[in-house]
Amino acid sequence: MTATLPTATDPRSTDPRSTAVPGTATLPVRPAPGRSGGGAPAARPRPHVRFRSSRPDLALCGVLLLVIVLVQGWNITHFPTLSDDEGTYLAQAWAVQQGEGLAHYTYWYDHPPLGWIQIAALTWLPALFVPESMTVAPMRFSMLAVSAVSAVLLYVLARRLWLPRWAAGLAMALFGLSPLSVVLQREIFLDNLAVLWILLAFCLAASPSRHLWHHFAAGLAAATAVLTKETMLVVLPALMVTMWRHSHRDTRKFAVTGAVTACALIGFSYPLYALLNGELLPGPGHVSLIGGITYQMGREGSGFLLDPGSGAHGVLQSWLYYDTVLPLGGLAGALLLLVTLRWSVTARALAGPALAAAVLAAVALRPSGYLPAMYVIQALPFLALVLAGGAASVAHAVLHRRRRPGEGRALRSARYVLAGVLAVAAAAFVVPRWYEGNRTALTADANAPYRQAAAWLGSEVADPAHTRVLLDDALWLDAVHHGYAPGPGAIWFYKADLDPAVTATLPRGWRDIDYVVSSPTVRRDAVNLPNVKAALEHSVPVAVFGTGEDRIEIRRTTPDSGSRP
Amino acid sequence: MPVGGALFTSVLLAVVSLALFWTAAFTLWWQMHAWRTPETLAATRFGRPDGGGRLAFSLLLPARHEQAVLEHTIDRLLESSHRDYEIIVIVGHDDPETAAVAERAAARAPHRVRVVVDHHETKNKPKALGTALPHCRGDIVGVFDAEDQVHPDLLSHVDHAFRATGADVVQGGVQLINFHSSWYSLRNCLEYFFWFRSRLHLHAEKGFIPLGGNTVFVRTEVLREAGGWDPNCLAEDCDLGVRLSSAGKKVVVAYDSDMVTREETPDSLMSLLKQRTRWNQGFLQVYRKKDWQQLPGRGQRWLARYTLMTPFLQAASGVIIPCNFAVALFLDVPVGVAIITFLPMITAMVTFVFEIVGLHDFGRQYGLRVRFVHYLKLIAGGPLYQVMLAGAAVRAVWREQRGRNEWELTSHVGAHLAEAPAPALATASATAPATATAPAPALATAPAPQTREDVHR
Repeated sequence: MTATLPTATDPRSTDPRSTAVPGTATLPVRPAPGRSGGGAPAARPRPHVRFRSSRPDLALCGVLLLVIVLVQGWNITHFPTLSDDEGTYLAQAWAVQQGEGLAHYTYWYDHPPLGWIQIAALTWLPALFVPESMTVAPMRFSMLAVSAVSAVLLYVLARRLWLPRWAAGLAMALFGLSPLSVVLQREIFLDNLAVLWILLAFCLAASPSRHLWHHFAAGLAAATAVLTKETMLVVLPALMVTMWRHSHRDTRKFAVTGAVTACALIGFSYPLYALLNGELLPGPGHVSLIGGITYQMGREGSGFLLDPGSGAHGVLQSWLYYDTVLPLGGLAGALLLLVTLRWSVTARALAGPALAAAVLAAVALRPSGYLPAMYVIQALPFLALVLAGGAASVAHAVLHRRRRPGEGRALRSARYVLAGVLAVAAAAFVVPRWYEGNRTALTADANAPYRQAAAWLGSEVADPAHTRVLLDDALWLDAVHHGYAPGPGAIWFYKADLDPAVTATLPRGWRDIDYVVSSPTVRRDAVNLPNVKAALEHSVPVAVFGTGEDRIEIRRTTPDSGSRP
Repeated sequence: MPVGGALFTSVLLAVVSLALFWTAAFTLWWQMHAWRTPETLAATRFGRPDGGGRLAFSLLLPARHEQAVLEHTIDRLLESSHRDYEIIVIVGHDDPETAAVAERAAARAPHRVRVVVDHHETKNKPKALGTALPHCRGDIVGVFDAEDQVHPDLLSHVDHAFRATGADVVQGGVQLINFHSSWYSLRNCLEYFFWFRSRLHLHAEKGFIPLGGNTVFVRTEVLREAGGWDPNCLAEDCDLGVRLSSAGKKVVVAYDSDMVTREETPDSLMSLLKQRTRWNQGFLQVYRKKDWQQLPGRGQRWLARYTLMTPFLQAASGVIIPCNFAVALFLDVPVGVAIITFLPMITAMVTFVFEIVGLHDFGRQYGLRVRFVHYLKLIAGGPLYQVMLAGAAVRAVWREQRGRNEWELTSHVGAHLAEAPAPALATASATAPATATAPAPALATAPAPQTREDVHR
């Protein structure tokens, strides 16, 4: 791991080999006379990756992009199972499109709204021309665009961090084709958008021209990432490390201060928004930003990640079920890079991403926090980068380490054979597993019950406009398109208990409800929701789709019934 | 508020805010020009002199009631490492003290120093420079002020810059140094720092440049061809730059912290205000002369328009930004509009932050110790300085307006031209009709010791 990458050059290194990298150019810099400015480092050559004018880079990136888009896009509406959260964000995006504010229920500062404002913008055109398409499954295609952009940005970032071309391609493939990525990046999660912005921020921070306004823009992009998904906050120190390493001594103080200022000013617009609405501090009769943060921070912990009985461990298992290579291999790579920081040029070049991966892992390991299933999404690009960087390091060590000019043919062949064996072994380990995982993603249909339930709600209920139905967020937009009144008619099931404005419309409790769509989420959460629970208890199934745990029942409330769900 | 009124307020606020935002953003963008990339920064410096062929310099040194500092300045110029130069000191026929100092210097170094006497009835700097131009023997004419501290190696660097770049004009750096003197001198120093360190380079690159008043070097034939300095312009330096760049002459700017000409800020807030008024009025005159309209590029003409109007835009935004902010905060406007009204404020804050970093860099470059209290002064002084700038802008417009109306009076009221050394703003305004009639009222014939507005000690 102490090797120099073939194309990797430390910003301060004067390694003459760096000028021989294809697609690079050295900048002629005027020597600085006098003591002023300490301009000596400016005069040194520095590799320059010109992505847009490098044909091999464009070709490799283009081919990989095509494969990633195909794998992620094929069967995207059928797998994985529609998630409640996707429904929530898309419904709120719909509310933004409708001009109803930030949500169709009271916006309560659960997350900064920028994420679903972006989703609203992304889905604006299709929703304009085909309004019925504004439901979770079809709109997953908008996430395809997001992952495509993220994948390209990751490639660019890898090149800007001086990884060789093949390693940049490897990083992009790991990021886009790991079954874990395929599953999570298909879903309408804020984290996917936040990843795009943070990757953009890293690309700008590692800008080869070291332009002041690129660094400033990196601050803006980072703030956008945080306002898209607040957990990105923990990645900012890693961004700072990257920017520090990639800025020049003479202009660094302006660049870094500019970036921090930009980030802070944009970041403060959120509390400013709350302040202007009179909702910064908690108070009676209104929601507040502080209240929202307090709720998120005080969410019931999911236990220690490595404690087999804990909820967090369950989440970890669900990630590892899809893929072990990227999470575990990437994490090992990150730790290795951080440990070898002193000796390895690669490690220093990838210090930022390695730090990001390590920080995200440390946060996940805190014993008393809440660990959501989508948490790993933020780590995926960094894991992919450090894993590819580690591979590049090993490859360089095998092929070039202690190589002398007059090295014998046999020894040289042995190096290539060893490299080949390692590559084949790695591929033999990864490819079958990923093939299995992605085959499921490309063929399985996990959402048939949802589609059937949505169709049933549209065809079998006589007067949707005057029917009140409790359902989970993933089906909510379908119901709205079928004519149920958004809010009082089609009701997010938990709002029946948690939102005072909704509860007030249900003075007789479950008796004011006509139908409950009992999906796995509803059944799981009903335990703590009295109204929902009562509605389930006082209803009978009129249609059932699917079987077992994942079945979806449409239940009609019956005033005199007491059947158990 | 009725719906129509609220809508009108919102739209007005949004339009004004966006206009202010773009103005401030452009200014900031240009102000930070030199630090864009390390390569840009490296390119703002002088190239290392090669010691090759030499050009001959004629250095013009107009001096007026500056006997106290003139001798030192001449001595310092005589220490120059360059071989081929002459110093032409220009003194007024009514100023025997300064003339005596100049003659003494000429006697000591007869091959280097000559004295030219300016016989104009009303005196100002462009007239003095114009008087000396026919006497220049060198290939290059350079201008300094009587209190300038010039680095001995400057001429060799300028010489090299002329030959290496094929420039017609070379502008060297000028830097106010005494940032610790007062809160306004701190801001004034920083203004110079950003202007000469950064912004001027952008102007040179874009081909439209208002030159500085000294440490400016022009090829003699180019200067003669252009007709020298405009004797009636209050900002003859800016005017010359605008005329030369409009004629397509190549201007090169170079800045090295150890090669700059060091100066001091005006010694009182009032003289700073007057100096700024004169500049602003000069900028207005240059704008009205319309030489800049001959610039070939549309972008160049817009840059010219914008730069020459900057003092007035600055004054306007200094007043409007706080008003805008208050309106947004206290009137009930939609949250979206309120956020837009904060945009100029955000740009102003970014500017503030960059000024703080700039002050740090200034201290580093000049080996000066910048203390924490100076940063506080910088921030606290910002709004006050803005008020001063706004005052100077208003005063300039007013004087220019009045002066033009009463141009007829010029020949009659020569005796009234002297201004009191430091009148209060109100009295200054009261005397303005008379004083503003002459192109350079402050340089009138009165024997007051401080006849120049930007007097230095």
